[in-house]
Amino acid sequence: MDTPRLPNWFGGAWTALRQFMYGLTGYEFSRHALAMRHEMEAVFMVVTLGDLTGVPILPPIYSLRLLPYVVPEIATWKRHMARRKEFWEKDEYDLHGL
Amino acid sequence: MNTLLAVIIGALTVYLAYTLYARRIDRYVIQSDPKRATPAKLYMDGVDFMPTNRNILFGYHFKSIAAAGPIIGAIVAATLWGWLPSIIWLVLGVSFIGWASDYSAIVLSVRNEGNSLSAVAHKLISPRTRSILFLFIFFYLLLVAGAFVGIMAGVMQGQPRTHLGIIVLVGMGLLLGQMLYRWRVGLVGATVLTVGITLVAILSGPWSEGTFTALNTALDGLTGGTPLVTYFDPTLAGFKGAEAKIMPSLFFWAVAICIFCYAGSVLPIWRMAQPVVYVGFWITALAMVLGLGGAAVAGFVKPEVAQFQIPAFKGFNPQLGPAGIMPLWPMLFVTIACGAISGWHALFGSVGTARQIENEADMLPVGGGSMLTEFLLGLLALLAVSVGAKGAPVGAFANGLGGFISVWGVPLQYAVSLAFAAFIVIVLVVTQLIFRVMRVTLSEWLGEVIPPCRNQHVASLISIALALLLVMTGTWIYLWQLFGGANQLMAALSLLLVTVWLASVGKNWLYAGLPTIFMYVTTVASILVTAYNLYFNVYQPNREAGRTLPMIGSGLMVLVALLLVIAAVVIAVDGVRAFMKYLRRPSPAPTTAPARG
Repeated sequence: MDTPRLPNWFGGAWTALRQFMYGLTGYEFSRHALAMRHEMEAVFMVVTLGDLTGVPILPPIYSLRLLPYVVPEIATWKRHMARRKEFWEKDEYDLHGL
Repeated sequence: MNTLLAVIIGALTVYLAYTLYARRIDRYVIQSDPKRATPAKLYMDGVDFMPTNRNILFGYHFKSIAAAGPIIGAIVAATLWGWLPSIIWLVLGVSFIGWASDYSAIVLSVRNEGNSLSAVAHKLISPRTRSILFLFIFFYLLLVAGAFVGIMAGVMQGQPRTHLGIIVLVGMGLLLGQMLYRWRVGLVGATVLTVGITLVAILSGPWSEGTFTALNTALDGLTGGTPLVTYFDPTLAGFKGAEAKIMPSLFFWAVAICIFCYAGSVLPIWRMAQPVVYVGFWITALAMVLGLGGAAVAGFVKPEVAQFQIPAFKGFNPQLGPAGIMPLWPMLFVTIACGAISGWHALFGSVGTARQIENEADMLPVGGGSMLTEFLLGLLALLAVSVGAKGAPVGAFANGLGGFISVWGVPLQYAVSLAFAAFIVIVLVVTQLIFRVMRVTLSEWLGEVIPPCRNQHVASLISIALALLLVMTGTWIYLWQLFGGANQLMAALSLLLVTVWLASVGKNWLYAGLPTIFMYVTTVASILVTAYNLYFNVYQPNREAGRTLPMIGSGLMVLVALLLVIAAVVIAVDGVRAFMKYLRRPSPAPTTAPARG
């Protein structure tokens, strides 16, 4: 005997509610963790491949060995580093409402 | 009038504003195109630019904009003018201006490569707009910091039942940060533990009340009952004005709040500020959801908590002090700020949210929908204070909200404790973030000229000292209205930017332009009225009585008011010039709205 199924719209509404609750609660933590990791990666990139944006670093042999792995990220990283940022763009300075 | 009718009005407002007006603007003016690539997709870097599901983004954006503003504004406005003009402004404001401001700021950013409002203003209007924005931001934050610290200190002095819950909240916030980021505990388990303990502490408030009452008495006894500062308060003695006192206990709680905010400002965000906000969110959300639901069904289950107790209308110009004026226009429109329209939403929400918009069709439900949902928060606060009616405004709000919560079977004593705690929590968690942003604003603005401002401790202490000075002046009502004026002026600036952009791309600018004119004229008028009231109702009486501190504080506020007006005039001149320049250009050929599935 088939298990009775709930109407599709109920499933859709339940999914939307779960996603909304995630947006209200845990999403901020995951974004912040990503941002923290990204900042550490940015430091690593400046040290190893900063010469690509004009920082006068002589790339050591290790940078060249890492190069094939970071090539897909270079355009994104350059755009991120070169873009003018205001301090209030960081999640750290989000007032969470007023 | 009863709460069920008001809830129905609220629901109808949200539905009609969204379907009959907002959708038309989105479809025929902005012409959002689901097939057009957004900055989140074009520049995806997994951090700032990240396409995000619409429902998740709605929750995230709503949490970013909804806080204490709509609650306090509705409480104050209902007390001054009655519930009728307050509900009218909430309904009309959000329907024609509020959703448009939030939504349009997101559209502006999405259609300009994810740039912030200041970057777009730099390009479209003038380079000095960015500097003026810093000035706005700092003084805006200073005013709201003073207002929030002042109201919290007052409530904590008068409501000893809230102290245990607040102290435990801070502790649980610190624990949560440690659990999530260091011990790698799962979010669900950590939430249940920390929020559960905080809730128990809040509900235990009535049992701990005696201890903290004794503490307040002991503190006041340090000066033998003599107040630290005496000032003229125009809101006392039935709004005729009388002498009020700042006792050692109030000063103690104000300093305690400032110490908490200092820690939130200088510690890493994950250590304290973020987890405290998270725990506080759950407490407030619980109270508000139970409250809104209770307000809807109270008429059937517990009719005695569903009837409005305050007058519908108290007059066009209620008295406030011997020499003050409080005209309905323009003051109502800045007293209720965030529940109807808020400039802060445009500034912050558009940057973080706009860079996560996956699809242009999401802009309206996320931006406009969040603002319409926040309107419900303001409406709930209005209902609570209208049925509560006992005691001071915040007490009336807590009694009313407690009554709504008690509809679900929670004993009234605990329901009111939860309501008081929810109020303080929502204000407290925002205030620590305010000081955080203030110290960074100070560093950015003055760091080159005054190098010590670059130090986070120096900048934090300067911000806190200025806010404490405003608290000690005692003129809270004008502090709140000046904050509202600054907030709405930022909204007018954001709408001006949207209007100029719409003109530059040849679109119909009326839906943003008309609100711009209304908000600009209203907020500049309100700031001038507040400056007048501050001078004649506060500065002069205190000067005549020889009270130096209130005199300095009110004088500072008058100067801030005049600075804001000057900044507003500069922005208006630059904005109108830019607008006329784009208006005179030949418009691009009109495009048809993209087909929708």
